Amino acid sequence: MMKKFLLLVIGVFLIIFCLNGGALAKDNIRIGFSMALTGPFAPAAKGQMDAYLLWEELVNKNGGILVKEFGRRLPVKLVYYDDKSEAETAVKVYEKLITDDKVDLLFAPNSTTIHFAVFPIAEKYKAPIVGNTAASVKLRDLKSKYFWFVTATMADRQMRALVDLLISLKVKTVAVVNIQDIFPRENLEFLIPYLKGGGFEIVLQKDYPRGIRDMVTVLSEAKGKNPDAFIALSTPPDTFLTAAQIQEVGFNPKFFFQLIGAAAVAFGPRLGAATEGISTFGHWSPKAPWPGAKAFLDNYVAKFKVIPDYLNSTLAYVSCQIIEQAVERAGTLNWEKLSEVIAKEEFPTINGPIRFTGSENLQTPAMVLQWQKGEIEIIWPSEVATAKPLYPKPPWPKK
Amino acid sequence: MDLGSILQIVFTGLIMGSIYALVAVGLNLIYGTMRLLNIAHGEIIMIGAYVAYWLFTAYGVSPFFSLILSSFVTIVIGLIICKIIFLPMIRSGKSEESIQSNALLLFFAISIILTNVVILIWTADIRGYSYLTGVVQILKVPVMLNRLNAFLVALVICVIAYFFLQKTMLGKAIRALIQERTAAKLVGINSDRLYLVSFMMAFGIAGLTGALLSMIYELSPFMGFPYTITAFVVIILGGLGNVLGSLIAGFIFGFVETVGISVTSPGLQSIISYGVFIGVILYRPKGIFGKGL
Repeated sequence: MMKKFLLLVIGVFLIIFCLNGGALAKDNIRIGFSMALTGPFAPAAKGQMDAYLLWEELVNKNGGILVKEFGRRLPVKLVYYDDKSEAETAVKVYEKLITDDKVDLLFAPNSTTIHFAVFPIAEKYKAPIVGNTAASVKLRDLKSKYFWFVTATMADRQMRALVDLLISLKVKTVAVVNIQDIFPRENLEFLIPYLKGGGFEIVLQKDYPRGIRDMVTVLSEAKGKNPDAFIALSTPPDTFLTAAQIQEVGFNPKFFFQLIGAAAVAFGPRLGAATEGISTFGHWSPKAPWPGAKAFLDNYVAKFKVIPDYLNSTLAYVSCQIIEQAVERAGTLNWEKLSEVIAKEEFPTINGPIRFTGSENLQTPAMVLQWQKGEIEIIWPSEVATAKPLYPKPPWPKK
Repeated sequence: MDLGSILQIVFTGLIMGSIYALVAVGLNLIYGTMRLLNIAHGEIIMIGAYVAYWLFTAYGVSPFFSLILSSFVTIVIGLIICKIIFLPMIRSGKSEESIQSNALLLFFAISIILTNVVILIWTADIRGYSYLTGVVQILKVPVMLNRLNAFLVALVICVIAYFFLQKTMLGKAIRALIQERTAAKLVGINSDRLYLVSFMMAFGIAGLTGALLSMIYELSPFMGFPYTITAFVVIILGGLGNVLGSLIAGFIFGFVETVGISVTSPGLQSIISYGVFIGVILYRPKGIFGKGL
């Protein structure tokens, strides 16, 4: 009897020791996320994924993140699965990460659609996620308590910045084309009233379908209207196509704006000298005076041999920085406490200081970027500009 | 509409048409001879494009030369796939329906594998290079050289394909096989060899098309699928298995698309293209040219 009792005590003791030992032996911080490694979003997701990998490497080179609760620095380890660009797969991945993998922290997935899809999971488990590659005015309606968005490219603010720039450039006539896709259409909804309110003459407004393989007819028509500014609310395949074929039809607007893709890694090599003067959206430049901005560019180029995507890579890295600082300040991996810190405090990042208002980053202004001498410069608003707007845009190079 | 705009539309229609014809002809060759729908067709085009891109950016190989090298690579892929998967399957003596449905799944698997292999090698990044971006004036209409070049090359290949099928013994044998498989075998046509030949030809043309497209469009591992869809539409328009019909249907489709969006709105592109497609299916279910030509 006594022997049995002793065995039982030892057994219980052992079990407690093991469990406790498991907790004591916490040797890393596991951060889970789902990523569009394949599928239609994969090209855009690459810059985001690489920013996560770079952040992981740099943090670990530093010994990890200091967590007061454990009294030391813990290295980070990314745990991720391919969601094939499918929202429903991403939702399953996050469920698995939280309930099965039991990760310590979560990073954001790729694209607005998947951010929307994952939102209920964050709410359900009260899991803090700093969103990055999502922009839609509808994100505000979520009134999330555990989901924040670092982007300053919400359509209303982005188009306001663009139209303000056009006003300052004294542009008179504008032609607008857009692809039939969610984000460009949302921008269009704000752009048109802003333009009308600014007294601009809209000489052409056209939309075109996804998967278009030839822009010549659209561009010829725009050329015929001879507008001062040509605004193409485009996404990557047609952004490239438009930039190539606008030269073919010899259309030389004084201002040329393209939406998504004109800051993508492949854009510069593909267009060469023709990039000069092309404007796009985003809110980052390595030349801006934000601490770590230049270092981010250098580290990224050293690791991946290409420049980062000025939008996706930066946003992703910024979201990592916020999580990292929140953990250090809260001194714990407790989600409730982390959420409080993220919601209230200000975080210095490579994109300047960020403090959330509700779930949105209102501190970073929406900006307009422009290719100048092979680099992307911030040209608007003037308080944060790294270069003056190049206006009128020079004619296309002769070949 | 002034003359310049009309000419511009005509040129664009011709360029798009020649590309569509080229994209479709390979798909139809395999369908015609073997009754197999190659839904990995777009991925073979994608492989061709990546080979040309890689050779140009890494070794400075002229994309013109890559037309040959890309098609060589895809021919080898075609040879391997045909020899180890499809020929044994056809020889297995299973019913035609089961071979067709299995082949559909197999081609689907091949397309997924190829896409992911390209992601592993080149990542999912969008890529592209700048080549022949000069602009020439033809009848006062500006046309970019790489598109003009795509049109000329596509036209030449289409003409070669036409004469090959019409005039050469091998081409005639392939057409015989397309028209009446059993009878063709009875008169001594070596069907296995012709399956292999048409498979390699189809893959070769797809690879060449990819190299051609890489000069105009940017590349991604997912670029292939829309071409598979276009190719399907074109071969159904021209008649399934009717290779010459699909060449002509490619041009028709290119024209309908270009003229349609320029007289209405680009936003209506899909409605116009697929409207015509549905119309043809309703009134000429075997395609514009049926099994003839």
